[in-house]
Amino acid sequence: MGSVAGVAALDGAVARIGRRFGTRALVRGASFERRSEEGVLRTGTAFDRLAGGVPTGAPCAFVGTGTSGKLSLALRAVAAAQREGAHVMWIDPTASLDALAASRAGVDLDRLLVVRARTRDDAIAAAAAGLRSGGFRLVGFDTGPALLATPVRVDDIAPLIPIVRGTASALVIVTDQAPRRLVLPTFRFERLSWERQLDRTTGWTFRVAGTRGDEALFHARSYARTLLDLGARDELLEASA
Amino acid sequence: MTVVAVARTAQAASDAARARVLSALRTALPRVGVLDRGVYACDLRGTRRLLGAPFEVAGRIVALCERAGANAAVGVGPGVFVARVLAEHTPLGQASELALDPRVYLAPLPVATLPLDVRIVDELALLGIRDVGAFAALDRSAVLDRLGRAAAAAHGLACGMDEAPVRGVPPRRPIRASRRFDDAISSTEQLVFALRALADVVADRLRADGLAVLRLVLQAAREDAPSLRLERVLLPPTAEPTALVRSLRWALEEWPDLGRIEAAAIEALEVEPLRGRQLGLFAPDGAHAEEAIAVAQHLRSRLGAGAVLRARVQSPDARLPEREAEWTEVVA
Repeated sequence: MGSVAGVAALDGAVARIGRRFGTRALVRGASFERRSEEGVLRTGTAFDRLAGGVPTGAPCAFVGTGTSGKLSLALRAVAAAQREGAHVMWIDPTASLDALAASRAGVDLDRLLVVRARTRDDAIAAAAAGLRSGGFRLVGFDTGPALLATPVRVDDIAPLIPIVRGTASALVIVTDQAPRRLVLPTFRFERLSWERQLDRTTGWTFRVAGTRGDEALFHARSYARTLLDLGARDELLEASA
Repeated sequence: MTVVAVARTAQAASDAARARVLSALRTALPRVGVLDRGVYACDLRGTRRLLGAPFEVAGRIVALCERAGANAAVGVGPGVFVARVLAEHTPLGQASELALDPRVYLAPLPVATLPLDVRIVDELALLGIRDVGAFAALDRSAVLDRLGRAAAAAHGLACGMDEAPVRGVPPRRPIRASRRFDDAISSTEQLVFALRALADVVADRLRADGLAVLRLVLQAAREDAPSLRLERVLLPPTAEPTALVRSLRWALEEWPDLGRIEAAAIEALEVEPLRGRQLGLFAPDGAHAEEAIAVAQHLRSRLGAGAVLRARVQSPDARLPEREAEWTEVVA
């Protein structure tokens, strides 16, 4: 009898904690392995081999100059989140999201909520509301081209970091400039070469550098607005050898 | 934008049939209020994605009423009043949706259509004002001065300004939780944290009574300022403490300076029967969609027009980039 009462009391305590702090506050040991697998969004590209996917419950930054491919890969992450049936919020203060490119990256536009907040505070508040709600598997935050007078800089998103931790949502920050004061898991995007045909730019090749120094290569086609996965650099070197 | 469907059951319908209609409507729709005997208002804001276009929902309401044993006519409009008028002009067993501007639709109708005292209708008739359009053309302040507040409210309805929400029902016994703080709270985050405990109590009482809260009020006593009263409408109605706290957080975020709060109370003002909801069994989870809709509504009200959008590819081969996609406002 004592053990039955103990189990009931434990169930009651677990229920109370779940109710107060969220259903993901406590995880049973047996399900931890599965949870760690659920905790990433797989883009289905070499980026997954580089970083294991886009982590949920944590922020990550895609940093690179204009036309370096960071938005293309971020859209793959959006599509990956939507493949799980989820909604995605995209904070776009500079109105730079290309709907056609998003559609071609596999994004379901019906489940993509785009927020064009006009001020920094509104953009941060919108992202915070999206993260807290649990209704969005991924919240993307595009700070916009650095050349424009953007209302938000990457360091401004600091208030979002404690909010995203512990949620089931991913926070992907797409930015031109690396954070100066914040320490974030950062993936650096660098354009390697332009592809030109008949005096016109038709695409470019870029690389993504992970936190451990490994790299993945991609080719973006401008007219088709599609992304070609070339593979991880190590694999390419092995194949060529 | 507010979208309301008003269902008017037949005069001959029995009380038992009307009770079944009301129960069926409350099961099928998030927010149902009783306007009159056998007349029910259904708030359709935020239901388009889950239930379909308002006119489709109206058709389903007609069928639902028939199955419950009462013929009904349904009118769909941007406000309770105009939807009710439309329902009264719709034959039983049919649904109709207002295609015109409410002011234009109401203009040729007799002034007695408006909720006005008979003496005021007579007085207006003596002034030669016999239809709603003529009444709407009067100056609002002159109507207020000469005929009073009720007439001024009716004038607003005549002008197509109908902001009255669909009301639910108050709980049979008060559902309230309050707490006095040892040290006054001055930050939003601290207050939200403290409100979690109150929300847990309210949610437990709601569940014990089998209810979900539709309208919630937060009252906060402040040391250095008059007490703060914040009312929130929760759509869909819920008994989830996290949803209650989230809604209150959004309201509190609108107040940059809360002052020093020494006591707080949460009370459920309007409730509905609690309905079951499955969470997380399938990937395209309806619960997550509801959360996303709630966030979209909140952001739309906070950021204003043109800020919360959804894209649709219109013409992939367009020469101009701006013609490739169409951006539509997410209203609900």
